[in-house]
Amino acid sequence: MKKLALSLSVATAMMASAGAFAEYPEQNIDMIVPFSAGGGNDTFVRALQPLLEEKLDTNLVIRNISGGGGAVGLTRAQASDSDGYTLAAASNALLTLEALGNVDFTYEDFDFVAKILEEPYVIAVGEDSEYADLDAMVEAAKEGTSVQVGVSGVGSSAHIAAVAFADTAEVDFNFIPYPGGSETISAAMGGHVDAVVLGGAELRSALESGRLKALGMSYAERSESLPDVPTFQEEGYNLSLTVWRGIAGPDGLPEEAKEAWVNAIKEIVDEGSFEETASNLGLDIVPLYGDELEAFIAESAEVMKDSAGDLAAK
Amino acid sequence: MLTGYIDGLGLVFQLGTLLAIAGGTFLGIIMGVLPGLTSAMAIALLLPVTFGMPPVMGIGMLLGTLCGAGASGSIPAILLNIPGTPSSVATTFDGFPMAQKGEAGRALGLAIVASFFGGVASMVVLSLLAPPIAEFALRFGAAEYFSLSIFGLVIIASVAGKSLLKGLIAGLIGFFCSTIGTDPIAGVDRFTFGQLSLLTGINLLPALIGLFAVSQVLKDAFEYDPSNKLQNSPHKVDIARPRFIETLRNWRALLVGIVSGSVVGPVPGAGGSIASLVAYDQARRFSKTPEKFGKGHGAGIVSVESANNALLGGALIPTLALGIPGEAATAVLLGGLMIQGVTPGPMLFESQSGIIYGIFLAYLVANFFMLIIMCLGIKLFVRVLLVPRKQLISAIIVFCFIGVYGVDGDVFNLYIMLAFGLLGYFLNRYGFGTAPVILGLILGPIAESNLRRGLQTFGGDWTPFFTRPISVTFLVIACGLLALTLWQNYRTRQQDAAPDAA
Repeated sequence: MKKLALSLSVATAMMASAGAFAEYPEQNIDMIVPFSAGGGNDTFVRALQPLLEEKLDTNLVIRNISGGGGAVGLTRAQASDSDGYTLAAASNALLTLEALGNVDFTYEDFDFVAKILEEPYVIAVGEDSEYADLDAMVEAAKEGTSVQVGVSGVGSSAHIAAVAFADTAEVDFNFIPYPGGSETISAAMGGHVDAVVLGGAELRSALESGRLKALGMSYAERSESLPDVPTFQEEGYNLSLTVWRGIAGPDGLPEEAKEAWVNAIKEIVDEGSFEETASNLGLDIVPLYGDELEAFIAESAEVMKDSAGDLAAK
Repeated sequence: MLTGYIDGLGLVFQLGTLLAIAGGTFLGIIMGVLPGLTSAMAIALLLPVTFGMPPVMGIGMLLGTLCGAGASGSIPAILLNIPGTPSSVATTFDGFPMAQKGEAGRALGLAIVASFFGGVASMVVLSLLAPPIAEFALRFGAAEYFSLSIFGLVIIASVAGKSLLKGLIAGLIGFFCSTIGTDPIAGVDRFTFGQLSLLTGINLLPALIGLFAVSQVLKDAFEYDPSNKLQNSPHKVDIARPRFIETLRNWRALLVGIVSGSVVGPVPGAGGSIASLVAYDQARRFSKTPEKFGKGHGAGIVSVESANNALLGGALIPTLALGIPGEAATAVLLGGLMIQGVTPGPMLFESQSGIIYGIFLAYLVANFFMLIIMCLGIKLFVRVLLVPRKQLISAIIVFCFIGVYGVDGDVFNLYIMLAFGLLGYFLNRYGFGTAPVILGLILGPIAESNLRRGLQTFGGDWTPFFTRPISVTFLVIACGLLALTLWQNYRTRQQDAAPDAA
């Protein structure tokens, strides 16, 4: 009897001490990917899944809830309990959906845990294109040539970024929306459009093979993954934007849950175990947490809103 | 090249790699059988597992999944009249009537062997001709896509059954449904009634399952008569074994299937769903006994199933040679390749690493595993028909719900499935047929968006649709086929009428 009592008390003590620094997570965590399997958001979460499961010591249950260009999944995520057990893979789509007025939520209804990856928007042309640089393309449009610019998805973040660039350059492009990145790239390779605006990761293999060439990209500074591509700012267009991917949950997540996630992600980043995967995918690891992240989101939301307004007006 | 294959052999023929391919194939077969579960989903589930593996092993596993799912989609199509994917819609045309005649084993035997031949042939095409075919696929711009979809629409006449008019009406219903959702060019919402789930339009899979599976269940349920013992007794089942000789005897259909799959399959975004229908249509036209199609004819199954697996190899062509995936499954596969550090593109074919040859061989091996596993399983599959109808339809409806919910985790898809189930029930009952609706749903967006995209790129000028060589070729063939169909219809009607007059 005594033995039992002793072991019980030991067990309680152990549980208590374990609880003191690792109460969260106690159960599996649902991760909503608001796109179908195979998209950029899906690939990034699945690539991180084994690493995160190890650090958080729980299972991540990935649920692809697609529809409405991310609207359905994100609405679901935003409406779920903010207990830290339902999170979503967040990206620019969250902001563009709000900017286009398709959803009832705003970015303030979300609690952003971390931004993990970034890629630039890249303007690329076919290998035999007459446009050697951004200026040539902008000049042609100014002179009245109909410069056809393919974008992936009407109202997608790439579409809005393309509009933002046109606004900055004060020209009109003939935007041709395609259903997705791969259709857009094949249209550019086949010479059916003059240029495309897409995320750097999607364009990676096309650029590497030389079938498309990048004229400019939207980071503020040059990127390691595309060292030879000038930024928009270098070329004289005052615009910097990034495609970001991270983790968010409904507003009011418990502090300990956020902390557990931030620590897990920090450890993964520090260990460098994700670096190779990210660079294979053409993505840059640019982590951001806490207040800095909030400021970053608010700023991106502003840019998206302005350009989406222009898009809707056209 | 030879040394490349020898290096590739070394990469593939290792116990771990072979086991991974076999495992992937097995999982693919299971996923393909269950309605609603797609090969894209299977590959996505396996992705994290493959990260730790060497490239050829991981990619081999994913290719196995693709190959297994491509072949096993025929099983529910034949046994239960439920196509798990758009590409096995045409399998139901002859497979299900055959199963009802008590020849389910023969139908499956043909399907398995035809899938195998289709897969192997497409691997050969892939390894020899991938770069030039990929270049050809690139020449498809808006005008070409539009004309291709018009060409596809002519097939409605072929799958329409008895009445061309009713078939066209059903096709137009599908066309209309495809306009629901965000306008592909202007971005305006159409017929969404504020429903978020409708923003991206009607999801093809719930509609497919509704039109074929749910409508069939409804029909069975309405016609169910407890006093009718015959109805409740299990189906007759023949001996189930692979049919090599009979498949080869249908060499015309086999060839048509392989060619259609390899030619139409590589066209990104359009090929996957229509290649098998094109194959079925062409096989019937080339056949000496076209009247047997649709009533349980072996050639019908052979053409569709060989096309089905040939198009997988076809879809790999732009994925590997250009990094442009044609549809969801190859898109997930592309993600897997990139994570492995294998960047698709022309470089992949020129590099000395042997990886590309390893990939070819892995796909070949996957086809052999598919053949073996399916041959071992065929006797089990047909036993499904021994389950009394009453129990069977309850099981089917459960799987439909699970599968459709699983697609997106969106309850709204279940409503879509049920609505299309009702629609399908009435369409079948009044002789309209459900296949034209699916064709309309698939081809509608391709036709509409590319017509508008084309007009936008050509600055409002419609003549390029008729002057671009590939585009005009498709349009001419489409007109020719339509004229042929109308003339044949006229002839049969006259022949039918002649004996009465005499």
